[in-house]
Formats: sequence, structure tokens, C-alpha cells
Amino acid sequence: MVRTDRRRNSPALSGILVLWISILMMCTGSVAHSADAEVEKISFVNDIVPVLTKAGCNAGVCHAKAGGGQNGFELSLLGFEPLEDYDHMVLEGRGRRLFPAAPDQSLLLRKISGRTPHRGGIVLPPESDGYRLLRRWIGEGTPLGETVAELKSLEVLPAHDRIEPGASRQLKAIAHYEDGTSRIVTDLALFESNDVGMATVTENGLVTASDLPGRVGVMVRYQGRVSVFNASIPLGAEAETPKSNNFIDDHVFANLGQIGIPASDVCDDSTFLRRVTLDIAGRLPTADESREFLADTSSQKRSVWIDRLLKSPSYADYFANKWTALLKNRRDDASDITSNFAFHAWVRDSLLTNVPYDQMVRELLAATGTVIANPAVAWYKRVKEPKQQMEDVAQLFLGVRMQCAQCHHHPFERWSQDDYYGLSAFFTRVGRKPTGVQGEDLIFHKRGLAEAKNTKTGAMISPAALGDVVGVIAPDEDPRLRLANWLSDPANPFFSKALVNRYWKHFFKRGLIEPEDDIRDTNPATNPELLSALEDHFLSSGFDLKELIRAITNSRAYQLRAVPTGGNMVDRQNYSRFYPRRLQAEVLLDAIDELTGATTNFANLPLGTRAIALPDNSYNKSSPFLRVFGRPESLSVCECERVQSASLAQSLHLMNASDLRSKLAVSGGMAQKLASSKSPLAERITGLYFSAFSRPPTEAELKVSLDFLLPTSVEGEKTEATPKVGKAEFEDLIWALINTKEFLFNH
Amino acid sequence: MSVKNRIASDCRPCMNLALVFVFGVLTHGHATRAQSVCLPSPRLLTTFPMGAQAGSEIEIALSGEYIEGASELRFSNSQIRAEKVLSAEGNEILGRYRVSIPKEVKPGLVEASVMTRLGLSSSRIFTVSSVQEMLQSKGNQTLTTAMPIELNSVCNATMTARSVDFYQFKAEGGQRILVDCAAKGIDSKLNPVVIVADADGQDLAVERRGGAIDFEVPEDGAYVIKVHDLTFKGGAHYFYRLNVAALGKDQQITRHAMTKKVHAFSWPPAGLSGSATTTEIEPNGGSTPQNITLPCDLMGRFAQAADTDVFEFNAEKGETWWVEVASERLGRPTDPIVIVEHVDLSGAEAVVTDLAELNDIPSPIKVSSNGYAYDGPPYNAGSSDVLGKFEVKESGIHRLRIADLFGGTRNDPANVYRLIVRKAKPDFALVAWGLHMQLRNGDRNALSKPIALRGGATMAIEVVAIRRDGFDGEIQLSMDNLPDGVESNGLTIPSGKSRGILLVTAKEGAPRGVSIASFTGSALVGEEKVSRRCHLASMAWPVPNHWSEVPSPRLLADVLVSVGGDEPAPISITAREDKVFEAMEGDKLTIPLIHMRRGEFSGAIMAAKTLGAGFERHQFDLPLDQDASDTVLDLAALKTPPGDYLIAFYGGAVAKYQHNPGGVARATEALKDAEAQLALTKAKAAKTKAALTDASAEEKSELQQTLAELTEKEKRDAVRVKAGTARVKTATSAAKAKDIVDIVVSEPIRIRVNPRETK
Repeated sequence: MVRTDRRRNSPALSGILVLWISILMMCTGSVAHSADAEVEKISFVNDIVPVLTKAGCNAGVCHAKAGGGQNGFELSLLGFEPLEDYDHMVLEGRGRRLFPAAPDQSLLLRKISGRTPHRGGIVLPPESDGYRLLRRWIGEGTPLGETVAELKSLEVLPAHDRIEPGASRQLKAIAHYEDGTSRIVTDLALFESNDVGMATVTENGLVTASDLPGRVGVMVRYQGRVSVFNASIPLGAEAETPKSNNFIDDHVFANLGQIGIPASDVCDDSTFLRRVTLDIAGRLPTADESREFLADTSSQKRSVWIDRLLKSPSYADYFANKWTALLKNRRDDASDITSNFAFHAWVRDSLLTNVPYDQMVRELLAATGTVIANPAVAWYKRVKEPKQQMEDVAQLFLGVRMQCAQCHHHPFERWSQDDYYGLSAFFTRVGRKPTGVQGEDLIFHKRGLAEAKNTKTGAMISPAALGDVVGVIAPDEDPRLRLANWLSDPANPFFSKALVNRYWKHFFKRGLIEPEDDIRDTNPATNPELLSALEDHFLSSGFDLKELIRAITNSRAYQLRAVPTGGNMVDRQNYSRFYPRRLQAEVLLDAIDELTGATTNFANLPLGTRAIALPDNSYNKSSPFLRVFGRPESLSVCECERVQSASLAQSLHLMNASDLRSKLAVSGGMAQKLASSKSPLAERITGLYFSAFSRPPTEAELKVSLDFLLPTSVEGEKTEATPKVGKAEFEDLIWALINTKEFLFNH
Repeated sequence: MSVKNRIASDCRPCMNLALVFVFGVLTHGHATRAQSVCLPSPRLLTTFPMGAQAGSEIEIALSGEYIEGASELRFSNSQIRAEKVLSAEGNEILGRYRVSIPKEVKPGLVEASVMTRLGLSSSRIFTVSSVQEMLQSKGNQTLTTAMPIELNSVCNATMTARSVDFYQFKAEGGQRILVDCAAKGIDSKLNPVVIVADADGQDLAVERRGGAIDFEVPEDGAYVIKVHDLTFKGGAHYFYRLNVAALGKDQQITRHAMTKKVHAFSWPPAGLSGSATTTEIEPNGGSTPQNITLPCDLMGRFAQAADTDVFEFNAEKGETWWVEVASERLGRPTDPIVIVEHVDLSGAEAVVTDLAELNDIPSPIKVSSNGYAYDGPPYNAGSSDVLGKFEVKESGIHRLRIADLFGGTRNDPANVYRLIVRKAKPDFALVAWGLHMQLRNGDRNALSKPIALRGGATMAIEVVAIRRDGFDGEIQLSMDNLPDGVESNGLTIPSGKSRGILLVTAKEGAPRGVSIASFTGSALVGEEKVSRRCHLASMAWPVPNHWSEVPSPRLLADVLVSVGGDEPAPISITAREDKVFEAMEGDKLTIPLIHMRRGEFSGAIMAAKTLGAGFERHQFDLPLDQDASDTVLDLAALKTPPGDYLIAFYGGAVAKYQHNPGGVARATEALKDAEAQLALTKAKAAKTKAALTDASAEEKSELQQTLAELTEKEKRDAVRVKAGTARVKTATSAAKAKDIVDIVVSEPIRIRVNPRETK
């Protein structure tokens, strides 16, 4: 309001308006418009900008494109800066864009209606309401008009509903203003489905559900405000579920019951053992471990095994591998080796000793000193600028993507530029001093008032935590510690949520919120009650990461079979069955090494170091395998940098790559051991199956294997009594097992 | 002795001599980098073991650079004696010494060095302990071959690259076990990672930051200790001493002794008592400040994360107080900051006004930026501690807040500090190191050179002063108790300045000798003449390529000055006359120079610079192909004020250097002896073999015994011949003339600038 008034009183603007009005008075038609006294006065901000937004004129790919818009005509993204837009439309281009004397001849109207070539095509035909409003506004002399009241909120009705597959529901968007008035803006609002596979929405707000069951959100935007419609699409089947084992099951199975999706059965011991060992420790169970586990008759053996895995260094190695990639532990120069090794080790040791998550993050954010004395400092070597530090912290630890808000109001969120700079202000007192190592600084708290400059307004912004007040921070206090306090506050709406959602995705393939680092009001969780319960559990445990994993992996929901049942094949987000996923690059390489008895030699590391224990990305260069299977280069804080999709190169690599062949044929390897073993052939094959799949072969599998390995006698009979199977045959058998989906996937 | 000669490739025309003499410890995979600049200096790089128990006698093996033919192994504690180890035949086993450490020797660090034909080598730390010492068993790089280690013992070991060393100990549940690994603090290149694991090798506790593990044993049984380098480097330079000790329930941890870093030279201030007069009392945060009175001497600790201690006191307007904090200089990884505030309580609310923010003792001179080109010494004489003052503007209540800028997230009660607030007590502290200059990009070799002089050589020592409490007077530098034929001249640190030079010159023909010199700076503080010890610092390792290795400077125990007596400097530059050169202020002064050349040089000129206040901007080209030259000092351009000066010229010159040509003859002679010995043994063996055929049964037994002994001796002789052949080859290669760039410093020149008479 204040800014609008200021602009309205601008002498220059007033002068131009007077001039136009004078011209209008002299021209035909202008009197008719002026005489149309009963019609409500047009407000540029409240009436014209929404038309442009709805038409897509101010989308990022059109005239709100960074760096000057399109063909010299620039608008602010989604109309977040309406007064600037007014200047661009009315004052720039020597006034040629708008022609009040003959509105239809305005370049703007000619372009949007397609009468003059327009790369954006016809966006508002002359008969459309939007065109008519624009024409009238131009004819009235392009008044800025009064912004009667600031838009307070946007409401969508209904807010949530159940939609049968194939059915539709009309949404209504209502704008609420500060003065208490409301206005239906359905025609002017933007609608967008969060998952078009589950539901589509027309530009007028008609939602149509597909036949995929679950929950889906439809985002509604109007004038910088957002709202969301939550739809649940039932499958409608009888939802049989296993007996609940903990609170996770309560929520997962309740959701399945609501939507009517049956759950698959609980998986067998072999599948569980392999699955949980891969997920927690990033490795295959050994043949001995598998045999021991299957022979164990204890009812608690799954829980006991989970605890054993969580105590093992492999757990720390595997999760350190995950975190260090996200924390950009990247080798750009040979001299980075010390800081990278130290940082990786710090993460790994913290996980091993189960340092509470909030404490780990505190030590990282507020790190001071040298890399050797405090390896967390290495993060500041990779992420140097306060803005980058803030963006990484927001995305990684809060699940909030703030990047958009640096230049303009966040299009899907409530974050403004002040929010952006307020959050980055926490990092403005990070002092640096050079050390003996090139490019490596000593980090300290530089005394002084923390504040960041909003580059748009020039205002100095004090530290503020995404709308939460953190109080005045004295010059002596390291503002990063205040940020860490805010993060670990149980009332923090993001911190725990982001972590439990990230870990949930680790074990279930899909986050309750997807993508896992894009948590916002307009991107609701598929099971909000479960997400909330996980948060509560995590908080009450004191940010105990191992306890979170323990709760997840002890749930029956985690232990469901991957095989579909009762129509739950279509389920993609309700966890009615285990969603199989390909082993990660490092895990797969280790698994192949384990099965073949080979060892991958990594530079600067002891022979036998596993791929999941690699400290940084530098090993990708020397390992085609890791590259082909998508090991990340630690360039971003996004888990999406890890490529889990299949490719032809992967198939060819597994079938034919020289490194795989050499592993199969390695001297002293599995094939050689099996060939030279005196044990019965069936026993050797069984051992191999235990190593690969944590289970014995089925009768059919055993027969196929024996048929392949055993020489055929002259009489055409196979004899197991004197098997003499060569190394090459075992290499082929191992190769065949490696190339099965059962081996390549965690299922 | 094996001699390895490498010629490092370089784009510059000069070739670089690299001689690496490795004694005895070849089995440790010694892989010293080539020395690329500076004439050879003797450097002792490793001893194995690196320590011994007081009251014991051990055999140690040495390795180093240019320490061939070392005549003596010395220790900074003269009670420790060493003698060469001889073979059964009475031959010297190169690089091996038998060392006796009397019971009376106090446990701690001593420094070992060897006397060579080039002078006394650089030193290497040797630890005297009070516990049982062990040597690493071969092949303890797997869990199954873990070496058993007794509680309350120390194991001396070297790390193998890309490996983990395994140890095993037994302990009872509830026992406290200290696992402490000495590495950086005893000159090792190892960044140790120490892990205590269960018997299966599963990690239980990890320490990667150089700290010790205080391990509470969960249950009776065997436990494993794993040790490796942070980046899995290894080799003979990556040595360590692993201490495993049982601790009492409330016993304080005593860590292994460590060398002092350079910044420690400025602590404590002269006359400070060993312990503070008062201690911090928690809680003493912002709302509950601790009352103190000035002056004060207080011991506190940054025990909790983000701990800020606040002290409240009264001060009177016009007073000036000096604040000094030691924490980093006490060996803690801290960065103290002090804020002094005035608190005005006259209004309804207290008004707090900053009086001073004190943080860091800046290095008095520019420290190296660690770029490829040399732009200053990589020794930081400053510190993250505090030394500064505040002036009281208003009488009344004041607060002093002290915090650790590195302490935001850690809880470590070991992070102590000592806070002193005093009236001005002007003083100074001194530290020095060998002057280095740009010779070849990346090379920092001169920084680890011992003061081992060739006859006719002058070595420049760069001296830096930390001035306390406003002291800004001149500081005179001097070095006494020098070996025969050696003299020193200190170039004064001028008033208000922080850098000076001391020149140490060995006269031509100076005999081999060594002494522990007394290196001091003296000044008039008020009316009192005070003298302060100047500490000497050195890099622990030669750094031929700074880009790939960060130097690790430390303070040395003693100032050892020696003369090799076997090899002269390639050139000596002196003034033609031994006199005071006089000139009027603003005139030009010609200094005739003599170049006493004892070898050839590559390049006809040396770009010479000048050391000494008032003349440092003077530069000229000194011809290396002539025996004399003049340099003209333009006093007007230099704006040198009247006074007495001592200056010297210096620059980098490329000498055609032949290393130890006499060594070829000696090695050849030794080889001949060995060959003759082998021939003799062979002949005896042949004779004995022949005698066997006709010998009686009784004689045969005796002859077979003799033959067996001769066969064994023949093998040993053959080994000697092989080694001798290698030595001849290496010595011959080393003796070939090679281009080596070195720092050439003239002898000091005395100058008097007289004031111009005004009419």
C-alpha cells in the first residue's frame, strides 16, 4: 500500500497521466470510456497484473526471463514487482507498447492477440475477458489505479477432497484482502498439479484424478500467494495389512486402509537380511551371516541384526558416503586430499559414535579453527560465500530451496528476498585467515554486527530464520550458533522434517515429500500423519539417527515384500509394498568384488578399502564403473546428483566390461576357489547363491546350474560323482548371477 | 652407505644437485625428495628408534642427507653418549650408533645431530622416556598379525604407505587406558589416526586430530589399536611412538612431550612467575561477572562451547593497561579475543561502551603467502593470542570479556588461558631463522639449513622481534661462544622496527668445530640494559617443493654453530679494506670489494641486494667472473641519515659445485680393501677345500668348520664389495661439477655517514 501510494504521487507519473487524459479527451471514443462511471475503477496491481500472470506473460521463460525479458520488454517474475511492471509497460519503449487513443492498436494487444507476430503465440484472443480488461484499461489511460487493499491470503475450496479415479472436481480460488474483503479469482489464478500422473488440472481449476491411488496436491497461485488442494484418490480394494509392529506401521497401514490399498506380505528372512544389510551397511551379507541368520529361530532376530548393523563401521562408512557427497567433499586439487580425508573421517566418526544429528549440524555450521584441528571447517573450504552457505544449509538441512528468493519473491513459497538475505546474514561474520595450505582458510567468528544487504532494496537485513525471530545477536556472539539453536529447537518446522523425510527416502526409495529437499506448503506429504510421527520420534530420541533407522527398519512396512498383491502394483507412494531399487554404484562395485573375490585398488588408500568408504569424488575419474553407475561428483547438495536410472552403458558394462571380466578371472578369486574346492558341486553352488542372494538356490536353480557346470558323459548322462569343473565355468556362473535383477537390485 | 644422485628437471638452465645419503634404514623405504637448491647441508632426518628409556642402552640407525662419514652422534643433553657400532670384523657399520642414556636423564625431548665433514647436521628429536620401549614388529599391517603391546610401554614404529598398523593389548573391564601417539611433536611427517577397536577390529574410539584416546575398557579381553596416516602416506619419514598406558581412575592425562611451535618464543614475558596468582571462577558470564582488581594474573579455561568469561574491575580515567593472553602459546588450538568495555551505571539502564577489542599478535613481518614464489618466511612470529592495551576514558566500572573464537562448538577443559593485565612493562622477545630468498620457485631448502659453515662463508640469520608494552628502542644482536674461526656481527634492529639480521662468518681455513652459541638481543629499556635470548627456529624437514608440502617450523633447543673444515665456500665477498667507510650525508660512497673465488660460476653477474637499515634499497650487479669490483652507495638517493652502520650484500649465485671429490678416492680405496679382503677369503677357502681331500677324519671335522666360517665370511666380504662398488659409483657421480644456486652473503662492512656541515 505504501509503495503504491508513493508511486501514485510521483510528479512525473502524474504528468504523463494528465497528458494521456488530455489526449484521450481530444480523441474519439475516449469520452465513452471516461463516461463509464458505474464500472469499478481498474487497479493495475489487482486487476491487470493477474491477467498477465494468468496469460503467462511474466513467466520465467517469457518476459520475466532473467537479463532483460524478451526483445527488450521485461516484466517481473509472476508480477512480484507490479510497480516495476507498470514502468516497463507504460513508460518504456517510448510509450509505443500502449496506445490509449486507439487501444486495439497498442503493440501489447496486437502481440498477445496474434495480430502482430509474437514468439509467444496468441495468449489472449480479442474475445477473452483478459483482453477486454486490458483494452479497457488502456482506453482509460493506463491508470495505475488504487490498490484498495493488500492481498492477505489465498484460499482454495475445497481444501481437500476424495476423488474417485477418473472423476473430476472443480476448484474455486478466493483471494482475501487485508481490509477483510474477498474476491473469487479462479479465472485469474494459476493451477498446477504436483503429480500429473495422478491428477491433472485445467487452467480454470478443474481437477481430474487418474487411476493411480494415493494423495496428490494441486498448487494454486495468485499474486504471490499460494494455496494447495489435497486430493486423495482411492483404489477401493479391501486393504489387508500385516500386524503393526510400531508407530510407523500404524500410520502406513492406516493410510492404506483409507485409500483402500492392500499391503504385500512381510518378506522372508533372506530378503530381509539382504535388504536391511544393503540399506544400513551398504554391503551384502556374507554367506556365513546368511546361513547363521536363517538358522536362528529367535523371534527377535531381525531387531538384533539391525542393532548389529548399526554398531558396525560399515554403517558409518555407508552413511558418511551419503553425507559427504551432499556436503560437497570434492577434490578439485591434489592438495585437497588432507582436508577431504579429514572431513570424511569426521562425518564417519560422528556417525559411528552416533553424535546427535543436531550436534553434528551445529559443529558443521559453526565450525572454527583449522581443518586438522576441526575437520568440519573443510566445509567452508568448499562453500565460500554466505549466500551459498545459506542456500546449501537451507536445502540440505531444512529441505527449503531458497535460491529463487535471491532475485525475486519465491514463486511457490512465501519466501521473500528479505527472508533470503535474513538467512544468509547468519553467515556474514565468518572470518577467514590464510593457512599454510593453498586455498585453505582458518575459520573464526569475526566480531561484529551480522547483517546482509538486500541487493534489490539496498536495505541491511539482520539475521532472521525463515520468518522466525531469533532476537538481537550481539557483536560478540557467533550468529551461526544462534542459527544452530534455531535448527535444533523442537518447534523448528523444517529441521527434523527434512531429515526424517531424507532418511525415509533412503529406505523406501520415495520420500514422504518429493523431492526430499523441496519441503513447502504447496508440496504436501503423501502421509502427513506419518511424517509428523517420525518427526516426533526423532525429536524425542534426541536427534538420534540410529534410533530413527532402528524404528524404520523394524517396521513391518519396511519389511513388506516387493512382490505386488491385490492390485497394489499401481501404488507408487503409499508403501503398500517394497519398491525395488538398483544398488548404488559403490555398493554394487563392492558387491561384485565380494562375489568375485576381487579387490578394487583405490589410489592413496589401503588395498581392500571398499568403495562405500571412499572419502571423496576423485576416485570416479579412475573408475569407469563408478561413473557409469552414477556416483555423484559432490557438486551439489541434491541427492538427485546420484544417477540411479538405468542405461545401456550399465547393461553393457555388466555384460562385457574388461574390469568386470578381470574381476571374474582374478587369481585367487571366487571362481578359482570354487573350481579347486573338493566340496560337492551342489554345495559350492549353494554357497555362491548365499553370497549373492543370501539364500540357497531353489531346486530349479540348482538344476540349471548343475546342467551348466557338469560335463556331459559320452552316454549323455551327467554325473556329479566326479565333477571336474573348470575356473572358466564358474566365472560364467558368477557372471550370470551378477547379471540377474535379484543381484543388481535391493528388493 | 648408498648414495643416490638425482637431477631434478627444471626449466631453468641450472641443474640441481640432489644427494641423498641413506644409512642403515633402507629397509624403511626411505624416499627423500631431491634437494634442488643451496649447497649441500648435512641434515639428520631419522633415527630409529626415536626414543629410549632412561637407564638403557640401545642401538639406533640414522638416515639423512649429506651425513656420510659422520664422525660423531651428539645429543642436546650431553649426559647421553653415543658410539659407533662396529661389525664383528671391527668395521664401522655406517649410520649405526650405540646410545647410552643414564638413569639420571630427565624424561622429555632432546635433539640429536651428527658431526660431518660439512659441519653439524640439523637436529632430530629423540625422546627419553621412563617406560619400557619396544620396536615395531615386522608385518603388523593386518588384524591377524597385530603386534602385542604391553601396557605402560612405548612402541617405536614407522608407517607403511597405504597401510594400517595393528597392535593388540589386553585389559580388564573398567580399566582406563591411555592411547597416545607422538608424531608431529617429534618431527614426524605423520598425521596420526589412532583407533581403539574390539578384538574383531570393529572401531570403538577414534582420534584423528592429534589428541590422545582415554579409553574405558568395556569388558575383560583383548583390544586392538590401529594406527595410520590421515591420508595413508608412509615411509621412513612417517615415524611415530605409540604409548599405551594404564591410568588410575582420577589420574590426570600426561601426554607425550612435543616440540614448541615458533610462536611460543614470545611466552612467557621475562620475570613472569610459573603460576598465576588467581583463577577464573565459573559462572562468570555476562550476568555474573567475576570481580577482579588490576593488575591481575589469572588462569582460566575455555571449558564449555562458546564460553565467554567476563571480569569486572574499577579503573581510573587516564590509566593505560596492557593485556596479554597466552593460550595458543601454551599449546592449545585456540584463538582468544578480549573485549574491554566501560559500564556507565549513572542512568536507568547500564550503558556499555567498547574501549578496546584485542585479538591476535600480528606477525611483525610479512609471512609467506604460500604461493609458489617466495614472498616471505613461512614462519609466523605472531600468534592468535592477545597482546595489546586499553586506555581508560572514564573512571568507573569496566568489564573485560574473553572468549575463544575457535571455541563455538567444542567442550574441552584442556583449553586453558592465562590472562595478564598490567601496567606497561616494556620489553621484547626475539626469534630467528636462516635467511631465505627467491632462488627457485617452490624451493624452501634454506629454511631447514643448520648453521654449518664452510670456510669463507657468511650466513645471514633473519631476526624478528615482538615488542611488548610500547617498547620501541633499538635492539643490538649478538652471538657469542662461537667455534674457533667463526665470528658474528649483528645488524641492529632499528628503533620501532621488528626485523634485523645477524651475520655469522667462518674465516677461510677455520677448523672443524662446534659450539652451543649464545644468541641474544640487548637494548636499553628506560635506563636499564636488558638482554633477551634469541630463539632459533627451523623447518623440521627440507622442502624442495613448497607446492606439495607444507613446512612445519619449530623452535630448536640450542643454537648450534659449526664449521665443517673440509670444504670452502665457492666465493667470499669482502670489502677491500678492513675499515670504517666514511662519507658525508648525501654523498656517494664507493665500496671496493674483493671476490675471493674458489670455483666457477654459471652466469657472469649476481644481482646483489643490501642488508642493513638505511641501505636496503641499494641494489647492484656484482660480477662473478672478476676478482674485484666496486659498488657505489648513493646516500642521497638512499636518504641515509648520519650514523654508524653495518651492512652486507647478498644475492643468489649459481656455483659449479663438486661434492666431496676426496670421497671418490676414499671410496675407491675402501673398495680395493674390500676386494682384497674378498680375494683373500676366497683363497683361504680354496686352500681349506683342497686340504679337506687329504685330511684325516679328525682333521676333516675341524676343516669343515673352518670352511663353513670362511664361506660365511666370503658372503659378507662380497656384500662389502658390492656396497663399496655402489659407493664409488655414487661418489663419482656426486663429485661431477653441477650447477647449484646458493645464497651468497658478503662479510659485514662498516659505514659511517657524517652529518653535512651547515654554514
